Amino acid sequence: MSMPDRRTVGELLADSEALARETLLDATPEQAPAMVRSWNQLVGSAAELWAVLPSAPNSPSWSDPMERLRAIGEAISHSVTAGHWPGQGPTEEHLTQIADNLSRAQHLADRSVADLQNAPGQVMHTLYVAAHGTVVALRAYAADLQGQVETVKRRRQPIAERPTALEVTAAQGMIARFDGFEHLAAAAYLAGEPPSSTNPVQAETPTKRLETALATWEVQTHRTLAASPDPADLVRVARVQALITTTTSILTEAAARKGHIDVDVVQRLAPSLEASQMAWSRMAKRWGELTSPASRTDPALVGAASEVRAAIAATATNQAGWATPDQLASRLDLPNLVKTLHLNMVASVEIAFVVRDTAADHPGFTAPARIIGMRSQGEAEIAIEQGETRYEGVTWTTHPQRASNQLVPLPEPARRGLINLADDVLATTNQAVAAGAQLDPSDVTRSTRSGQRAHLGRSVESHQTTHRHDPAPRGPGR
Amino acid sequence: MSFQRMDADTAETLAGVVRLLRRAAELVWAAADAEGAGSPRQVLALGIDLAADEARSLLPDAIAVQGPVPVGDEPAGLLRSAEQLLRRIYNPGAGAALQGLRARVGDLVWEANTGVDA
Repeated sequence: MSMPDRRTVGELLADSEALARETLLDATPEQAPAMVRSWNQLVGSAAELWAVLPSAPNSPSWSDPMERLRAIGEAISHSVTAGHWPGQGPTEEHLTQIADNLSRAQHLADRSVADLQNAPGQVMHTLYVAAHGTVVALRAYAADLQGQVETVKRRRQPIAERPTALEVTAAQGMIARFDGFEHLAAAAYLAGEPPSSTNPVQAETPTKRLETALATWEVQTHRTLAASPDPADLVRVARVQALITTTTSILTEAAARKGHIDVDVVQRLAPSLEASQMAWSRMAKRWGELTSPASRTDPALVGAASEVRAAIAATATNQAGWATPDQLASRLDLPNLVKTLHLNMVASVEIAFVVRDTAADHPGFTAPARIIGMRSQGEAEIAIEQGETRYEGVTWTTHPQRASNQLVPLPEPARRGLINLADDVLATTNQAVAAGAQLDPSDVTRSTRSGQRAHLGRSVESHQTTHRHDPAPRGPGR
Repeated sequence: MSFQRMDADTAETLAGVVRLLRRAAELVWAAADAEGAGSPRQVLALGIDLAADEARSLLPDAIAVQGPVPVGDEPAGLLRSAEQLLRRIYNPGAGAALQGLRARVGDLVWEANTGVDA
């Protein structure tokens, strides 16, 4: 018979932080798939606990960072459930144990709210460290796979036992998603710290309006895409993302002109942002071809998009177009807003992954026969040139369907085209995130050092974040 | 959000508004895309799209929006036509949604006439 668990909320949270550290220190490549599968349970438990905790002393009441993190956790889970890498399988013990601890803490916290003032920071710190541990394990896993792919090129090995390049790409995609989660958790953790020169109190300004609108948009996008999206929803998502990317570019340039950030950063960032904006716009146009006159957009998505648009119009434009750097500097807290926009860019990588999954998996999409027949043929020809034989000689729509421009289910090559466009968005947005890494608010107190883990056999990053309750630096530790 | 008991005239008028707004959005997006990544026209184009979405959501599912493509290639003119059609609708049950849409389209007419599209 097991002993009853008599740990207090404080002890459960301290144990959870310790387990997260162990996860990081003991992370092995083989654990990576199981860690991905356990992730949503962990985030779900953290979110439920978060909901009953008092707000962190300096946390902005207008934005709930846990909502964004939960949306990402659910999107990753949705992707795995739909059969994408790593698919179904065992879960990871440490992360499951942390989830159980957080659930137990939630039941206790429900009964008493005494002595919980440090709890939000501990929960966020646990997620941050656990996410970093998962990134480390995933990187090692992807590197191992890559090594195997190269080895089997030289040796004879049964096809069924060989890892595929596709699996490597899928694992690398998952790294980007967890990397985004880690950045957001780190930024949320730092935002809850007492005010300092690197973490000033946010003024009640248009800056706040734009930040709130962006955070709400991000959460709503996940909700709409997780339901049963219409192609019209995907068009709005892509158009709003393109507008946000343009706004990021305008505000970053203004911040550089006013001397808030290095001109070098802008010179690296501007071309990547432009490429990302154009990739989102191409995606919008292609999804637009799938809409029909009867298409409806999710009213909640329309509401969130309207607020983003209104906030951008109010803060970043004048009657002639974009506001001048002087106007922007007088209206906005440019140094902090640029950091928020960078974080938003990190989050938009996750949105692009969800759009990609939607294109690949959503069973209900239909499109007008004429345009989709043409698109399918175009994509099929490209695929045939690349060695795909299944599409040879296939007709994608029938004559009667084209004659009446009937709505037909989306043929596979048309989906493939949409996936390729999402891949373009992912590649360009990731480049922009990398180019703007100096603007990342979660990097404020980070240090990077090279280290070697015997079992990983590769250098790993050190992300050290000063814990608000500790005089000594704490953090993931490598 | 749809009007529960919408007469045929109101439905046809609103469907016309949707078509006008969609056509205006199409024109502004074409101009924005031609200008490239930094185009400020995106703000107006997205605004028109969202107004069209709102107008569509006021119509019951059974009402078809299909119809002739509105004549004209001036977004401001198309928006003005949409605004005039909206003024014609008298439906006491429409409430805040229709009033909100009227105000939104009125703002868009102003934006199209005073902003970069003027």
